[in-house]
Amino acid sequence: MKPTAQQNKKRRGGTLVLGTIGLLLAVGAIALFLGTVNQERIVGDIAAVEQSLDSAGATSALPPSSNQRQQASVPTTQPQSSQTVAPNDLSRLDQLSDSSALIPVRLEINGISVDAPVEPYGVDSRTGQMKVPRNVRDVAWYQYGPSPGDAGSAVLAAHVDLAEQGPGVFYRLRDLNPGDTVVVEYSDASVGTFVVKARTVYDKKDLPLDTIFSRRGSAVLTLITCGGGFNPSVGSYDSNIVVYAVPITPAVDSPILEAA
Amino acid sequence: MKKMRLALLVMAMALVPATAAFAQSAEGEVIVVHGVPELPVDIYVNGELTFENSNFGDVFGPLALPEGSYDIEIYATGADPEAGDPALAGSADLPAGAVATIAAYLQEGGAPTLGVFVENNGSTAAGDARITARHLADFGAVDVLANDGAVWEGVTNGQGADTDVPADTYNIKITAAGDPGTVAFDADVPLGEGTNTIAYAIGSVGGGSFQVATAAISGLAEAPAGVPTGTAGLASESNIMIPLALAGLAVIALGGTAVLARKEQ
Repeated sequence: MKPTAQQNKKRRGGTLVLGTIGLLLAVGAIALFLGTVNQERIVGDIAAVEQSLDSAGATSALPPSSNQRQQASVPTTQPQSSQTVAPNDLSRLDQLSDSSALIPVRLEINGISVDAPVEPYGVDSRTGQMKVPRNVRDVAWYQYGPSPGDAGSAVLAAHVDLAEQGPGVFYRLRDLNPGDTVVVEYSDASVGTFVVKARTVYDKKDLPLDTIFSRRGSAVLTLITCGGGFNPSVGSYDSNIVVYAVPITPAVDSPILEAA
Repeated sequence: MKKMRLALLVMAMALVPATAAFAQSAEGEVIVVHGVPELPVDIYVNGELTFENSNFGDVFGPLALPEGSYDIEIYATGADPEAGDPALAGSADLPAGAVATIAAYLQEGGAPTLGVFVENNGSTAAGDARITARHLADFGAVDVLANDGAVWEGVTNGQGADTDVPADTYNIKITAAGDPGTVAFDADVPLGEGTNTIAYAIGSVGGGSFQVATAAISGLAEAPAGVPTGTAGLASESNIMIPLALAGLAVIALGGTAVLARKEQ
């Protein structure tokens, strides 16, 4: 039997509603999808930051000499200069001592609600990777590199998330942008302020380790966590999110640096 | 053809890095050790007075120098180099990228001599330190212990060795070889990460001047292999929006099909 006009109208109405819902859903989803894709994965002048860190440090055949803390008093002079060379101050074995430099103890990034303790971490001898905290709340400072503000890259690492613990203190690291402020508190209660210069995502297999862990070059504060795609079968991400920040120069009256 | 070219390029690149580092700055480094007791000296390098009135126990450097050959002449402090022969003399060839110790020291029996020793400035694994020990003292063979475990045994005058260990503070003892009761040195020594801490045993045990002088070659550390900081996948970039968009399109398609079906009736 042919449907009545009224039945046709209902069906057309129903179809219209269904079609509209579908259309809205699709348009909305596509818009959101495009929106998240368009959130920049790389912001700021990454190349400039990478170049400012002397990435030749660990692999150079000629290690630096007089600029290291252990050699604080040794001049590097050519023997042909008119000055003679003074002996090292610390040449007796039992006079060697660790320089107790200022170390970071707290990290505050108001823009992404980070207010976390910082502790020194070394190397996991089993994997050769940087040791990291076992909880999602603490921030690890690579203790063999510089302290934030000293020459080279000071590395602060924390979890984006941990299975069984949920989102970590660096969960929103990817939301930091050039111009954002990062504050470090040190072991003597002094404070250093840094401004974000750039953020990027590196494939883990292409992570520029010598740059990120460089101990020479400009003072850079490097914040690092995991990101990118996640592989559930191995329980790890395929990339690292890295934020580079630089110290705000101590010209007291100058405004906070704008990102280039 | 493309593949072959790539292979050649990779090979060429593999050969370049070592020489590229040297080409940047054709320099080496020297460490100078004054290990002769009771003899303040002036040290001339290639005819130039470089270290003036140096005393027993002084260590200089590492100091950067252009690669090449260096003549070393050691005179008693204040002696006129034109007027007489040096107390000690020798020459050292310094290759680019190398670190060499030039040491004036006592042989077993007490005769002073000049020696040149090449130091290990290869890179160290992240988290590791290096310790080097050189026996430059008027004494018999020694054992070197770290935390009461033997590291080297039977090291004689003029010999040295190095090893890499996890960076930490270690108790270092130097004893007569095979005779742990005869201790020439005993101290806690911090071995810094990425640093080759070189311990020179100098002087005379019998004469009471025995001591250990040190130098450090820093900047050797490699970077760690990675930074593993995420295991839950909550921040994954894989998008739920794609399935959602597809679902939306599927609904439209269903609706469109329904409209067409109606029209056909």
